[in-house]
Amino acid sequence: MRRWKTLLLALTGAVALSSVSSALSIGAPAPAFSLTTLDGKPLALADALKSHKAVVVLFVATRCPYSNAYNVRMKQMAEAYEKQGVLFVGINSNSSEPEAEAREHARKHGHTFPIVKDPNNKIADLYDAKRTPEAFVVTPDGTLRYHGRIDDNSEDEAKVTSPDLKNALDALLAGRPIQSAETKAFGCTIKRV
Amino acid sequence: MHDQTGLKRRLRGAGVAFAAAALLFAPDSRAAGSFARIAGELDAASFRDLLVRQKGSVVLVNFWATWCVPCREEYPDLVRLQRELAPRGFRIVGVSTDFGSQRGAVEKFLGAMKPGFPNYWKKSGNEQAFIESVDRDWGGELPFSVLYARDGTRVKSLSGNHTYAHYRREILEALNGKR
Repeated sequence: MRRWKTLLLALTGAVALSSVSSALSIGAPAPAFSLTTLDGKPLALADALKSHKAVVVLFVATRCPYSNAYNVRMKQMAEAYEKQGVLFVGINSNSSEPEAEAREHARKHGHTFPIVKDPNNKIADLYDAKRTPEAFVVTPDGTLRYHGRIDDNSEDEAKVTSPDLKNALDALLAGRPIQSAETKAFGCTIKRV
Repeated sequence: MHDQTGLKRRLRGAGVAFAAAALLFAPDSRAAGSFARIAGELDAASFRDLLVRQKGSVVLVNFWATWCVPCREEYPDLVRLQRELAPRGFRIVGVSTDFGSQRGAVEKFLGAMKPGFPNYWKKSGNEQAFIESVDRDWGGELPFSVLYARDGTRVKSLSGNHTYAHYRREILEALNGKR
């Protein structure tokens, strides 16, 4: 009897572990979150989805060269797509990057889209985000529609051959299916607590 | 007088020849000289070719960058492992994933480290194809090391930084393996 109990506990543990570590799949409900932005405004994903055609949940960093290589592209995309009803939300989950540093980084790079600090990497855990930059696109029905990289060349925008996030957003806005709904995010590891 | 001058000349000549031979054959100084620079650029295809050329040795490919603190921290241990285990048929190949604008920092780092093993540069662009040619589960995090057996098959991928003892244990296991 004890052996069966042990086995049952072991199996339960394994299932719980796999459900925590499995990546969020396309079409799954995007986890809700509610935090305060770096400039002190409340931000809830549910509210943002009510007033936008899509929300881009973008995991960013201040010290990661891959994320920093996208600073200009992030700003340009956030501004361009805001006009089309898409909200970019930056999430800084790195325990190594304090809030004041994230605020200064946003100011320096002209990132006017909302950015939140993610204490104890709770949002990163909910989304199973691993890297910076890593993008998740959520539609008003609360489902995940795209997950992955911004594009295929962090170093040189001129050499980008596959602007995956842009393609996904353009497809969503045009009511077309997303051709590549999942790509591999390439970047620095999120520095978790 | 003539004899003494001739002797001096012969001694000087022998000294120069000895110094030249010492420079040519001393493994450390030669390695420091040749491996303190970037050995070349790699894309997915040339990375595969490079691995083919390493067959017969157990190889650890270490991906690093100058901005990556854990990479810099573990690098001296890799230098030590290369020196220690090279006579047993072990080699390290370094691959810097720094951006092109960091060339100066990469060469400065290699100059300071005197690694004793070649270090290549990941060619800019098509990151997904490159990382998947190395390991489909790799997401670009650094440091990242892949251990290959003598027959060229991948033994293990090691994500993140590891201790000297951990690397040594894994390498010795591969050196003692049948592949």
